[in-house]
Amino acid sequence: MRSTPTFARRLIPAAACVAVACAVSACGSGSDSRARTGGDTSGGGQDRQQQAVNADNGAGGSRGGTLDVVSNQDVGPNIDPGYAYNGIDLAYLSVTQRTLYAYEPNHADRAVPDLADGEPQITDGGKTLTVRIRPGVHFGPPVNREVRAGDVKYAIERGFNPHVANPYAPGYYGDLVGAGRATGGPIAGIATPDAHTIVFHFARPVASLVQQAMILPLDAPVPPEYAKPLDAKAPSQYGNNQVATGPYMIAADAKGKVLGNGYKPGSSLRLVRNPNWKAATDFRPAYVDAVSWTMGANPTVGARQVLQGSHMYLADAPSGPTIKLAYQSYRRQIVFSAGAGVRYVALDTSKPPFDKVDLRRAVAAALDRAQMRTVRGGPLIGEIASHFLYPGVSGFADAGAQQGFGFDFLAHPTGDAALAKKYMQAAGYPSGTYTGGGSVLVVGTSGSPDDLDAQIVDRALRSLGFKTRLRLLDQSAMHGLCGRPSAGVAVCPNLGWVRDFGDPQTVLDASFNGAAIQPEGGTNASQLNDPQINRAMAKAELTVGEAARAKAWAEIDRMITDSAAAIPWLWDKQPILFSRDTQCVNAQWNQGYCDYAFSSLK
Amino acid sequence: MARFLVRRCLWGVVLLVLVSAATFAIFYLLPSADPAVLRAGRGATPQTIAAVRHDLGLDRPVTAQYWHFLTQLVLHFDLGYSYTSGAPVSSLIADGLPATISLAAGAIVVWLLVGIPLGILSALRPRSWFDRLAMGGALVALSAPVYWLGLVVLYLFADDIGRWPLLPGAGSYVGLTRDPWHWLTALVLPWLVLASTFAAIYARVLRTSLIETMQEDYVRTARAKGISERRVVLRHGVRNALGPLVTLLGLDVGVLLGGAVLTEAVFGIPGIGRLNYTAITTSDLPVIQGTVLLAALFIVVANIVVDVAYALLDPRVRLDG
Repeated sequence: MRSTPTFARRLIPAAACVAVACAVSACGSGSDSRARTGGDTSGGGQDRQQQAVNADNGAGGSRGGTLDVVSNQDVGPNIDPGYAYNGIDLAYLSVTQRTLYAYEPNHADRAVPDLADGEPQITDGGKTLTVRIRPGVHFGPPVNREVRAGDVKYAIERGFNPHVANPYAPGYYGDLVGAGRATGGPIAGIATPDAHTIVFHFARPVASLVQQAMILPLDAPVPPEYAKPLDAKAPSQYGNNQVATGPYMIAADAKGKVLGNGYKPGSSLRLVRNPNWKAATDFRPAYVDAVSWTMGANPTVGARQVLQGSHMYLADAPSGPTIKLAYQSYRRQIVFSAGAGVRYVALDTSKPPFDKVDLRRAVAAALDRAQMRTVRGGPLIGEIASHFLYPGVSGFADAGAQQGFGFDFLAHPTGDAALAKKYMQAAGYPSGTYTGGGSVLVVGTSGSPDDLDAQIVDRALRSLGFKTRLRLLDQSAMHGLCGRPSAGVAVCPNLGWVRDFGDPQTVLDASFNGAAIQPEGGTNASQLNDPQINRAMAKAELTVGEAARAKAWAEIDRMITDSAAAIPWLWDKQPILFSRDTQCVNAQWNQGYCDYAFSSLK
Repeated sequence: MARFLVRRCLWGVVLLVLVSAATFAIFYLLPSADPAVLRAGRGATPQTIAAVRHDLGLDRPVTAQYWHFLTQLVLHFDLGYSYTSGAPVSSLIADGLPATISLAAGAIVVWLLVGIPLGILSALRPRSWFDRLAMGGALVALSAPVYWLGLVVLYLFADDIGRWPLLPGAGSYVGLTRDPWHWLTALVLPWLVLASTFAAIYARVLRTSLIETMQEDYVRTARAKGISERRVVLRHGVRNALGPLVTLLGLDVGVLLGGAVLTEAVFGIPGIGRLNYTAITTSDLPVIQGTVLLAALFIVVANIVVDVAYALLDPRVRLDG
């Protein structure tokens, strides 16, 4: 069972979007799902432009030059491919580290073999997964040798090493035979019968899910003879001395040290060409010669530099005013990548007052979700959500697409006071307002526009008669409290999620499975532990076949939405800004970004 | 003088130990995100969190953690590793320190070069148009938040997004050794912004102090002895009026580091301020500890320098007491 994304995967960067809840990150995408579901409902001409960008694979781009990337966010802070999980990290790891499979930028729904030499073979009823490793792929300096299956084996094993502490290894690879006791040493369930074959043996038939997870950077090969001494340190120093397999590498000294050379935490990251990369083994064109990333930029200033400058790209989500400026004055320099996550308000279902489903539905009915979107930038930055599986995720169409399941308490984006009153009465409050006494603790994120969204939720609660205590904290502290049942948080307004890949399990499981409730660091902020939903998830997890899985998880989506354990309110679109002479190729599988291996300079 | 310096240095060490202990205590007493949970990632199993906690040494008693920190620092000059990036704290500080020192030192020079002449000229011509203009300008500078002023300056004069492009803007900082000319030009706008508030304060303080000093008996005596007005002002007036300013300067070194955080943020300068801010938001105690100690060290050293300078300016002050 997948355990969740990490704090690092906090969703949707930035201002227009910022954080969501959770762990988020990886993720998402777009255009194909939009086509399946009838397209977007906003944007007009922008849609046509976006469709053009989404269909662009960068073919025919010019070679050479340096792409200047600007961001307020820091990469990392841990850049180890065995650990990094944040969306911003996947952008550079996807061009420095070759994983077994990878998404082409214009196909977010279908991964292609990258380090793998063909499609995976699933046998033994889904308990065995065999992957052939492509010959001719070499590590960059200072290792300089060909990649072998044992390097992938070691990469996954080290994910269980506490010095590395990969956040998703237990979730996706926890069913490997012997993984339960793994602490970084050999795992019995991973075999390498020859130098170019790796075989995974699982205790349960989860191979079809795991093969999709092989696009994540944990699968990027790590040379054990080089990395083991670095992994012996606490924390591991491999990330600061990492070796590349992709078309680019982080600039390093002769010994391979990137820290202080190509990578200065909180300051800069410089990618240069990997001299050992062979274009014939890769589907990436790798047009630019280098990527120079400057972190710590003021968000407004950085956005203006990109819009007015040359050969630049903004790696943050821009603020609402910046989006407006770009849309009005630099229309060709902004695109919106759909399928960038879902945002929701979590209500603690484990204790009063929100242990009553009708009370939760009343809050959903009263909430002005349209206003919540408006304060973030309006229709350009996303659609009002009617359920949790968002555009681009398998199962979205089965879940009713934009229309959703037709629940009345989510039918009015601007809120419906009369309906809310009806649900309050059904919950046992004849006056239509809460008279249960006490107060509810609402914990949101400080900083605009998250604080504004939290205040809108707080106002909706007060309109129903609740006495609230609104606390706005930094994002880490908010997640810490919302993920800790003993903290007594009743409402978490600033949560969200981005899929790791197209499978719907990666959206729903970590957020709403009872197993995801932890004493601390949990991701099920609703504390939803519904036996019926848990059983359905356990069954769906082992379901084989994309269509069957989509249907099964769509049904779970219906059950969760009906429970009103959380109130979905936005399906994000990631605004992407770039300079007029930057040919940005949108990598859709994640939250949306200019793919450095496909983008080029005009 | 030597006894004084030794005594002050010893007190400085004691102060640094107290600051480090206070930082430790505050970190554990005040609510913040659990570093082990942050490092392990959301949704990590309790076993993983426990393993990471052990790995980071957070499962030991706070006193043991503190003792370990102190011994590592004293015996090996080792500030430990960042909880988040895994990078040695000393290397993180070494990376950011040149930028912050460049910013702070340059700003001090600018505000002294601007604030002192303004204060002197205003004091010598009180209530003149120049005095009113200078003090009015100082009020504006005092009222303008560094963050806002930085943005205004960038939008007006930065060579990439400015209305009148004159100087390199945000994100243009490079190290002094890499390109001295670029280093200089890239820091002009940040220096002006960071120095503006301090220059205003110093101008106003010096003006007030100098006006009072110039009314002292010994100034009148000096004039009566026929000493030139220039010498009266500089030798007898300004020298005595500078006393409060020197004291202020020692204190402002600490304040400056706070102001530098905002300036670094606006101008994208990769200094200690940003490092510290990021560490606080990620509950990265080793980095917090390192940057706070560095700031305390700055203040201790600056105050020793100020005391010595004070004695040199005012013969009545003796350091060997």
